[in-house]
Amino acid sequence: MSANSEEAQKLARMGMWATRVLLAIGAVLVVLEFIIHRHGEIALEDLPLFPAVYAFFICIFIVVGGIFLRKIAMKPEDYYDDE
Amino acid sequence: MMSDLLTMLPPGALMMLVAAGLVLVPHHARQLVMLLAIAGSAFSLTAGAGQHLTIELLGFEMMLYRADHLSLPFAIVFHIAAALNVFYGWHERRATDHVAGLAYAGAAIAALHAGDLITLFIWWEATAITSVFLILASGTQRARHAAMRYLIVQVASGVLLLAGAAMLYSESGSLAFAGMTLGSAATWLIFIAFGIKAAFPLLNGWLQDAYPEATVVGTVVLSAFTTKLAIYALARGFAGTELLIVIGCLMTAFPVFFAVIENDMRRVLAYSLNNQLGFMVVAIGIGTELAINGAVAHAFAHIIYKGLLFMSMGAVLYRVGTVKASELGGLYKSMPLTMVFCIVGAMSISAFPLFSGFAAKSLIMSALGYKGLVAAYLVLLAASAGVLHHSGIKIPYFAFFGHDGGHKVKEAPFGMLVAMAGASVLCIGIGSFPGLFYQILPYSIDYNPYDASHVLGQMELLIFSILAFTFLMRFGFYPPELKSTVLNTDWLYRRVAVWLGRPVLWAIMAVWTSFTCAVAGYRDAIWQAIERLVHSPLTGPTVPGRAVMVQTLVLVVILAIGYLVAA
Repeated sequence: MSANSEEAQKLARMGMWATRVLLAIGAVLVVLEFIIHRHGEIALEDLPLFPAVYAFFICIFIVVGGIFLRKIAMKPEDYYDDE
Repeated sequence: MMSDLLTMLPPGALMMLVAAGLVLVPHHARQLVMLLAIAGSAFSLTAGAGQHLTIELLGFEMMLYRADHLSLPFAIVFHIAAALNVFYGWHERRATDHVAGLAYAGAAIAALHAGDLITLFIWWEATAITSVFLILASGTQRARHAAMRYLIVQVASGVLLLAGAAMLYSESGSLAFAGMTLGSAATWLIFIAFGIKAAFPLLNGWLQDAYPEATVVGTVVLSAFTTKLAIYALARGFAGTELLIVIGCLMTAFPVFFAVIENDMRRVLAYSLNNQLGFMVVAIGIGTELAINGAVAHAFAHIIYKGLLFMSMGAVLYRVGTVKASELGGLYKSMPLTMVFCIVGAMSISAFPLFSGFAAKSLIMSALGYKGLVAAYLVLLAASAGVLHHSGIKIPYFAFFGHDGGHKVKEAPFGMLVAMAGASVLCIGIGSFPGLFYQILPYSIDYNPYDASHVLGQMELLIFSILAFTFLMRFGFYPPELKSTVLNTDWLYRRVAVWLGRPVLWAIMAVWTSFTCAVAGYRDAIWQAIERLVHSPLTGPTVPGRAVMVQTLVLVVILAIGYLVAA
């Protein structure tokens, strides 16, 4: 059990570090947004930080949609086993 | 001499011929023979563009080997995938995967070079019949059922194609496989036939149903060919059909939600495959040179990175015995190389700069932007974030990190590692040197995906998607992986059709039974009449028995009706 919880702690530490690195990259990108003149394929995309904000909320929307889909389409694992 | 003969054969034909005798060759030699067959088939491509082999059959001209700028990139990547799959399946001692895999790849390659709809139909069905063994070889009851459903759907697609081709012939007098316009029943039938194999919305159930039930090697092989053959067929037959933009957008959007909550990792990848096909379908719908290039480039890159992802999950299945997300986790220690290759596949499908997805998808997004299709653009942008979410993060995270699943296993077999390494090199190569990659596309273009603005935009999209995932995970909003069956469109024929169909079937059976009962009631009378006929002096002693007499009578009646109808 102790080996397992050690492993779990290790994974949690890795997760923590990954999050920090990601936040750092995210911060760099936000800074770059104001240095590089970024333009998109469509006019809407030229808004400051559009890809970042759009992606963030879309991902949350997808997960919320997934949770809703579970309510209507999720069945027990053996649902089709009577075939 | 030998080379002349090879360039005359349609590509893929040699692979099918060799597959027929493959079972006689011992294991390691068999792998080498397969690689030689693939090389020989690839050599046929050196014949270049043109019509190389036409035969006449029953008064029809069948163009068995036609090559041009559209078939070539597909042919190249099909050969690459077939070769990588040989390495991937090297550890597998049973011949089923090898024979079926080689014949299936050969049929798909031959289909790419069909110049008329009848030849296309033959190879179209051949891909179905050869590939079903990759599912059957799993050996479970579940797989057998999935295989039969798969076969019915695939063969139905072929039947629609044949019906459409026949109607088109009676309309136009031509069977050539070329650009068509949706309008007549004939073109609609062909369109739906292609749509089934391309996994259009509502016609997609077979894909997520069957692929995850195939063998470890089988799923990898399946992922490469059928759907991309359909993409090729759509690009040739229906480029610029605007309806495809709508269909493609739906295909990119809906599977994303399913992928998020699906527990079986190979099924997650099957949903993500469906979403990727959507990008290609949208591009075909736009139909400009840039867009068709985008569709082809995306198909090319996709076959390799999607194969790579399926390979990594196949390796996990092979070693751990399951690919249920709820039971995996922490495999980074046991299978570090597989993890690295999986992440390369994940970054490619997510379109990170320097990886193949970026070089390919950028073409499609630009083509949409130039056309001013804002709504479709936003859907595809959202779907790009979704791809990253379920293929880019979910797959590596839940398999190799996440919660420790307590599995202590060996690294993947050597052959699998070779295949994954090869695919990884291609993913990074295509992404890093897009100029070279673009040269094999149908139209010559001057396009550079690597301008600072574009790279920054893409990085924002990706990093903030991952941050959203981390945010949801950290605060416990992310839905936990649950053992479950998520209903997909195959539910329509596995459940609804059964519910609706059963009463109809019962009604038909009831009518039939009452009919046979009535006949039975008159049986004696009929029998006596025949008896009298048989024993009448007119016919003599050599007259056959009653059963033959009945059959003869029935035949006469059928013939009479036939003549009446014909008259």
